[in-house]
Amino acid sequence: MSRQTANVVVLGVAGLSLALLWLTPGALAGFLGLIGVALTAYLRPAMAVRAGSLALLALGFTLALSQVPRVSILFYGLVAVLVALITIPGIPRWIKGLLGVAVLLISVPIAGFNNTFFLELGIQIGIYAAMALGLNVVVGMAGLLDLGYAAFFAIGAYTWAIFGSPQAANFLSGSFPLPGNYFYLFMALAIITTAITGLLIGLPALRLRGDYLAIVTLGLGEVVRVLANNLDHPVNFTNGPQGITPVSRPDIGWFHSLMSSVGVELDARTDYQFFFYLLVLVIIGVVVLVNINLGNSRFGRAWIAIREDETAAKAMGIPMLGTKLLAFATGAAFSGAMGVIFAAQRTFVSPESFTLLASITILGMVVLGGMGSIPGVILGAAALTAINTDVLKSFSEYLNNLRQAGVLNLPNQVEPAKYERLVFGVILVLMMIFRPQGLIPERRHQLEIEEAKEAQQ
Amino acid sequence: MSATAVASALEVQSVSKSFGGLKAVNDVSLTVRPGEIFSVIGPNGAGKTTFFNLLTGIYEPDEGSVRFFGKDITGMSPDKVAAQGIGRTFQNIRLFAAMTVLENVLIGHHIHTHSSYLDAMLRTPRHLEAERRAKERAMELLDYMGLARRAGELATSLPYGEQRRLEIARALALEPKLLFLDEPAAGMNPQETDRLKEDVRRLRKELGLTIVLIEHDMSMVMSISDRIAVLEYGSKIAEGLPAEIRTNTRVIEAYLGKGAAGQAGGRA
Amino acid sequence: MLEGLLALLPQVIFDGLLLGFVYAMIALGYTMVYGVLELINFAHSEIFMIGAVVGVEVFRYLAPVIPNGVVVLVLALILGAIISGVMAMIVERLAYRPLRARGTTNRLVPLITAIGVSFVLQDLVRLVEGIWHNEFKLQMRLIPPLDGNFTFLTVFIQYKALILILVSLLMLVGLNYLVNRTKLGTAIRAVAQDMNTARLMGINPDVIISRTFLIGGALGGVAGVLFAVQYSTIDPYVGFLPGLKAFTAAVLGGIGNITGAMVGGLVLGQMETLAGTYLPTLTGGNFGTEYKDVIAFLILILLLLFRPQGLLGQVVKEKV
Repeated sequence: MSRQTANVVVLGVAGLSLALLWLTPGALAGFLGLIGVALTAYLRPAMAVRAGSLALLALGFTLALSQVPRVSILFYGLVAVLVALITIPGIPRWIKGLLGVAVLLISVPIAGFNNTFFLELGIQIGIYAAMALGLNVVVGMAGLLDLGYAAFFAIGAYTWAIFGSPQAANFLSGSFPLPGNYFYLFMALAIITTAITGLLIGLPALRLRGDYLAIVTLGLGEVVRVLANNLDHPVNFTNGPQGITPVSRPDIGWFHSLMSSVGVELDARTDYQFFFYLLVLVIIGVVVLVNINLGNSRFGRAWIAIREDETAAKAMGIPMLGTKLLAFATGAAFSGAMGVIFAAQRTFVSPESFTLLASITILGMVVLGGMGSIPGVILGAAALTAINTDVLKSFSEYLNNLRQAGVLNLPNQVEPAKYERLVFGVILVLMMIFRPQGLIPERRHQLEIEEAKEAQQ
Repeated sequence: MSATAVASALEVQSVSKSFGGLKAVNDVSLTVRPGEIFSVIGPNGAGKTTFFNLLTGIYEPDEGSVRFFGKDITGMSPDKVAAQGIGRTFQNIRLFAAMTVLENVLIGHHIHTHSSYLDAMLRTPRHLEAERRAKERAMELLDYMGLARRAGELATSLPYGEQRRLEIARALALEPKLLFLDEPAAGMNPQETDRLKEDVRRLRKELGLTIVLIEHDMSMVMSISDRIAVLEYGSKIAEGLPAEIRTNTRVIEAYLGKGAAGQAGGRA
Repeated sequence: MLEGLLALLPQVIFDGLLLGFVYAMIALGYTMVYGVLELINFAHSEIFMIGAVVGVEVFRYLAPVIPNGVVVLVLALILGAIISGVMAMIVERLAYRPLRARGTTNRLVPLITAIGVSFVLQDLVRLVEGIWHNEFKLQMRLIPPLDGNFTFLTVFIQYKALILILVSLLMLVGLNYLVNRTKLGTAIRAVAQDMNTARLMGINPDVIISRTFLIGGALGGVAGVLFAVQYSTIDPYVGFLPGLKAFTAAVLGGIGNITGAMVGGLVLGQMETLAGTYLPTLTGGNFGTEYKDVIAFLILILLLLFRPQGLLGQVVKEKV
């Protein structure tokens, strides 16, 4: 297809989608919009057309969401635009930045204020994306298979949950819960504690070779979960399977004022959601930056060398244990920090959130997105979180409706919402067999080479 | 300690290594002088690569010792051995496939890139300076090996001969005093082999490196080596100048079988 | 108190033996596959679970028809062995062989695939049972003479326990014979030692690997049927914990070593039962039986850290 044709087709579809999304918003318009995003990515129109089309589509989705807040596919349209921005080569950085920021700070909040589910979804995606980026350092870059990653998540979450709730009073004297603003302190504390835990575990464990390391980390993940479940006697540390609630949240009076001064009025329904959404965005920004910096340093190179060929890496003088420990502890620290946020945002913590399934889910995000690839991992996190929290449940509801309408005669044990294992398992297997490099492969310099080629056209 | 002992680049004394019941390396000793080009040869299965692996820390000798410029490195792990100033290339080229030519060389320079973890995370000026210096050095080395124009390409996209040169450039980034080359001429055509010979001589002459080679290509071995050691079934059966080795009956027998000595004598 | 503790001992030892044989049989599947492929077949715990499900279903449908428990059990064992064995072969063919064909030495990829398969099988069985019987938890329907019991020297012994031990011993003896005295066994050991050389000797590794999965799977299936008979209630996730512990047992005995797997299983079973029974009393009720699972993990971790070759294994150096 010639460039001219591509330009016309892409602009045409984008324009049409915008019109439909504005005038007849709904799932169908949303679907057309998604097609528009896909065409923009694959038909290779001129750079200006790519940027313009994505902008039009983003506008369309936003307008639609402001009118029909309950249609999920529109939200995923926004996500698709963001992904396209990250992966399509040739769009100047300032446009990417501008459009990306607009979607994140205007479109999503608009969607979210009308339907807090989207803010919740955004927060969940953010938390898991940050953790997946942490695991990406361990598995994706250094090639260390950690199957117990949720353990660090649990440590971070429980640290805040215990001290930020009346729980600590069970074994310490003093006034608990600690005031909500200690939350920030505990984030820093969690980073330190989980990093140290990571070092302690890693010191013996990282000497093992790949498959044994996997099993050991799996075992440790289970040990942490069992401890969380059972450390309610003799001294009640964790309150066992019931979990700990309520967990304090930081004050956001200042946030209310800040938002008012920008013209955004928050109410009890949206205030904490929006606060955590923005917080998570900031943190992801920091995490991505740190990851990029590390990737462009001798440590990032050393990790990839270890992953590619440990023997050759050793021959380069790279200290094995020390370098692996850095990766492991870094991953742990990210997870711990997100654990604190997780605890505060939900105000509830229980061992159920830190099972093997959780660890494997995060691994799935890294594998699906692309091991070692930052945008890939974020995409993986978005995809699996969406499947987990939205798609499966919606499918469940859909089937239930069919059941009640008498159309489908399915036994009620068959509840798609419970079949995450099936979905994740299939994803893992298919990815490993057909596309082990992930959806957005780690392309350390391919992207620049591609952009250079694009510039020549 | 005598003056000669301290002056030797590599001193291997009576190293042995067994795997299960098999004695792969049997009581081998040799000394390599600084600035020497020393070759280790022998028929297939003689234990040459195992011997190399003993010297570079991949295996730990059951008996014996290895000293590098006087320092005992017996049983040190490979990363520590490398940090002492010993670089190596591999028999089956082991480049890092996911990285560019430049990055491969940068990895070799890892321990000389002075940027701490915190520096790297925060992208401090110290880090940027260290990166700049490292890249400068890497480009120098690539230029030295004639690969400068390939810097941004993926390592595995290079033709075979250039991949071998890249492995050497990478090993040089370690700023080594001694270089182990494991069958560097394997798979090369005569032109490439000639170029390799030139490179090895240059490395010794211009950079003052001591070079130890395992090689099967006899013409290469004979023309560039200062001294040669011959292994057979894990034991050293001869050591000396190329001319001596060429006419050594024991060596000829090892390669061609008993009785061949009379027929093959004199021809390399 | 000591008297009370000692009085329990014979029962604890017997129960430990029982558990040990279950672990031993499952461990055999892990160790055989690891021997030939150096792969931890995570999916093996689900192969075991499938055996258990087969056991329950066979009893559900045949028990009303055939009044003799032993006959039904034999049928269940045969069917369980076949179905589990075949499932294992299918998994190998569909999920692991394509990776082998690609020829990467990357250890991460097969491991991740194995985990994926494990998850898929869990939920597939759940789906099947959900659609077929609209059940999640399955209840074993036991019939005479299997539900009888007797007491011997203060030890309460159920007939089904004896049958479990008997069948396990037969299986172990049979496997030993197969691996050490038959041509197939020699081929398997050859492939385990050096796949390339075996190929040069005219052995087709793919065929041998397939058969290894079949045998390991069959053993897992038998273990599953006996497990269902012994413990009565099963669900699609019942394979995970015993699977992990059986793997620990395999490592304990020396991964790749068949006698090791048997020994490891028995030792682990004994330790777990001892810990489960005595831990509460020893710690004054502070740490109860729920920590017995943790015992297995701790053993695994300590083992891998300090003696990864296990009790009977040899240290294998990687060839560069």
